[in-house]
Amino acid sequence: MGKGQKHRDLGGLMPLRLKGSAGLSKTVVWATLGALLVFVLLPTFYLISYVFVRWNEVRVEVFENPIIGDENWRQILKVLFFSFRLSLSTVAFDLVFGIPLAYVLARKRFYGKSLLEDVVTLPLVIPTSGFGFATLITWTTVAGLGGALGLNSGLIPLNALIPVVDVTFILFTVHVALTFPYIVRTLETKFQSIDITFETASRTLGASALTTFRNILFPLSLPGVFSASVLAFARSLGETGATLIVSGVSSTASIAIVRWTSEFKLATASFMGSLLVVTAWVIILPVELYAGRGARSFRIPYQLPTSLSNRLIKIERLVSRRLAYLKDILPLIVVMITVIVPIVVVLNSVILYWSTDPYTGKVQGGVLYQLFGPSNYFSSVVRASSTSIIVALASTYIATCIAIPLAFIIERRWYGDFIRSILKVPLIMPTSSLGLSVLLLWGSSGFNLVSSGIWLITLTHVVFSVPVIVESIIAAYEGSEIQMYEDSARTLGATAYNAIETVSLPLIKSGILTGFILSFTHSLGETGATFIVMGRDITIPALVVNMVEALAIPAALFTSTYLIILSLILLAVIRIITRS
Amino acid sequence: MALIRLVNVTKKFGEITAVDHIDLAVEDGEYLCILGQTGAGKTTLLRTIAGLLKPDEGEIYIEGKLVNGVPPEQRNAVYMFQQFALFPHMNVWQNVSFGPVIKDRSSEEVKEVSSEILEMVRLADRKDAFPHELSGGMQQRVALARGIASGARILLLDEPLGALDARLRVDIRRQLRKLVKDQKLTAIHVTHDQEEALMIADRIAVLRKGTIEQMGEPHEIYSRPRSIFVAGFVGGANFIEGNVVKIDGSSSSIEIRGGYEIRVSDTSKRVGEKVVVAVRPEDISVGLEEVSGSNNFHGKIESATFIGGSIEYKIRLENEETVSSRILLSGNLKTYEATEGIVVSFSPEKCFVFPYPKAGLLQEIEAI
Repeated sequence: MGKGQKHRDLGGLMPLRLKGSAGLSKTVVWATLGALLVFVLLPTFYLISYVFVRWNEVRVEVFENPIIGDENWRQILKVLFFSFRLSLSTVAFDLVFGIPLAYVLARKRFYGKSLLEDVVTLPLVIPTSGFGFATLITWTTVAGLGGALGLNSGLIPLNALIPVVDVTFILFTVHVALTFPYIVRTLETKFQSIDITFETASRTLGASALTTFRNILFPLSLPGVFSASVLAFARSLGETGATLIVSGVSSTASIAIVRWTSEFKLATASFMGSLLVVTAWVIILPVELYAGRGARSFRIPYQLPTSLSNRLIKIERLVSRRLAYLKDILPLIVVMITVIVPIVVVLNSVILYWSTDPYTGKVQGGVLYQLFGPSNYFSSVVRASSTSIIVALASTYIATCIAIPLAFIIERRWYGDFIRSILKVPLIMPTSSLGLSVLLLWGSSGFNLVSSGIWLITLTHVVFSVPVIVESIIAAYEGSEIQMYEDSARTLGATAYNAIETVSLPLIKSGILTGFILSFTHSLGETGATFIVMGRDITIPALVVNMVEALAIPAALFTSTYLIILSLILLAVIRIITRS
Repeated sequence: MALIRLVNVTKKFGEITAVDHIDLAVEDGEYLCILGQTGAGKTTLLRTIAGLLKPDEGEIYIEGKLVNGVPPEQRNAVYMFQQFALFPHMNVWQNVSFGPVIKDRSSEEVKEVSSEILEMVRLADRKDAFPHELSGGMQQRVALARGIASGARILLLDEPLGALDARLRVDIRRQLRKLVKDQKLTAIHVTHDQEEALMIADRIAVLRKGTIEQMGEPHEIYSRPRSIFVAGFVGGANFIEGNVVKIDGSSSSIEIRGGYEIRVSDTSKRVGEKVVVAVRPEDISVGLEEVSGSNNFHGKIESATFIGGSIEYKIRLENEETVSSRILLSGNLKTYEATEGIVVSFSPEKCFVFPYPKAGLLQEIEAI
């Protein structure tokens, strides 16, 4: 059934999709909402309440430390300010190059389009510590671009700053790569949802491509631009895994939490974590509510003076005619440099370093020696793999059990939209804050039920897996006229439960599967939260961080490659499922 | 006894009253069409009967039992969607046997019922096909077969022919009616196509703004419309405003724009009352001579349009009123060109007279 047949709801006048219709028993609803509350939402609330309940402790440690005074508070302000500079500049850069790319992907058909979409999405799938490491060696070591250009060192020093915004080049590059997909994919979907006939009309009325974009498509998709920017901003603010590896001497807010937690400065860490969570909420919830309220577009509130407008239109006509290729080329270069080059470099380096260090000729600098030599990193990799897989399977399974009924509740109940917005919280929450909150809730300072280790990691991963799977199921649900099929089944004699079992579940099967694998992949690559709660049960991405810190570069190369290939395989599986 | 009976049923969506205190009775074995424009509340009414919506007020009875709280699966009334809603993950056989299987019939029974019905809709050889592999007409037959196989005695058809192309639609109308009658089913068929309703239904209920404007057999609705809306919506009509000036015995005279008079056989209005006269285009003839006993007006042809077997003239009368006339083409019929001066004639019996609506004539014709 195509999308054109959605006229059932007659422009919103007659909500024939009856929320609150039967089909979900009270028990299921309460059990699901209970699980949602305990596993997904409680940690966040606990983190914030922790700061209030233990305010005295926080005050002493952060503001009135007997030895260092308010040094911790000044540290917090410093890293927060740094994080904001980084995130804002990242989003600005993303928008400049992401909007043209999203436009091209949404409006043009060309050979290799789906490949390009996959490449743009890669940083979402690849474990961030592996990706961070790939970027690190690409720019700052002789094995990367420096060596390729014949230098004896990396192309750019680790702590080289970008002027004006005052953040390091390498952090900026990593954050651009990791947030770019949010901008591009969100806007691509938004652009696609806007009827192309508006643009065709504008073009046939004599406007150039660029003028059409400025006057028609852009204002119509402004809500999408906002939500994409907010997502990217939150993602950058909370990024921990790759940041841990490339941060050098600078510190972002989220890795400050990791550092303080490992130094047992829990009060400072939780204060910082709460600040980040609240910031993320304050930024996201208004946009989320606004976009959710069916806001389709903004009115253009201004009218340019005619002379200026005419001049602008002339410039736009010239640019549309002469410089159109720039919109195709520039974003491609960004994707190339930030995504493809690091991956190629890391794969290439693993081969170069396989038996010996190619520059010194020493066997000790080779991958094989580090894996199987005295340090025996291979056994660590094997152990980490089993930990990662158990965690990913367990957390994804638990999350799926919560997510399936939850998706139905979201679609069928009047408070569904509200739950859906709340579910955004774990997705936008800085991962290190998330890890900290789970540690505080279940660990010794909270319920004292689970101590650091594999089960605490699982509980942490459930928090972000539920929203991932729910979103995927909802996409499948809304892509198919589930309500109509179910209604049809009901009048044919199926009970509410039968209708869900025989009709709805099979129809959203691909959504469930996709969500399962997405969540599995996400769990496999998660670094920031895991780092805080893992104790001695190290996962693969955390192992990469440890290897980099121990300067076991060849071993880190091998492990990153292993992670990247694993996630590429999973990505391929998702593609196959969603295509059929 | 009526098989389905609605008493005072109302359904609101927020501020909007989609179904407004409707009373309706459908006899066993009857084919009822609910005819109305988009937004008239047809689908809401049908979904309320199916149990997919709960009425805010009123009672619904099926076979004499109050079913307000009864879930859809226990009403024995199958709802057919315009898009057919064939389950995309099941093949034809699984779709058709869905009802019997879900109702826990024995496997022999499932097999017997389903294959018999598939045979009946001539799709037995396509039982392994999936819905997307079938043409629109075939999908429609599968949907019907699925409904009948479920054992339902009532078919609720929501624009069942809307997704088919124009030619197929006309063919399937006949088949649909025949099937319902052969199987002794009761059907409520929702449509916005007046021609479809006139052709297929035993009775028609014309729905407007959530209320039933007129209910009756097709010829009755056509030949004795009870309101301006029904006259315009079913069949179409020319509307002329005027005032009653004289009533004598078997006819009355109505003065229209420019001081001209129309004689009508309806004598139910009062002298001085403002009225609207409706005349169907097919009841207006065009010629060069006046016809005795008819209303005759001189005018000029503004345009002539061929529509298949007939020709439609737009004529500007001497009083600047514009009327249209539709005339069946036959072998030696004289046709007229634009700007030709002619006489239009229509008999007093063919004029419907309605009181002038408070909200204005245009509002009455166009409002849904």
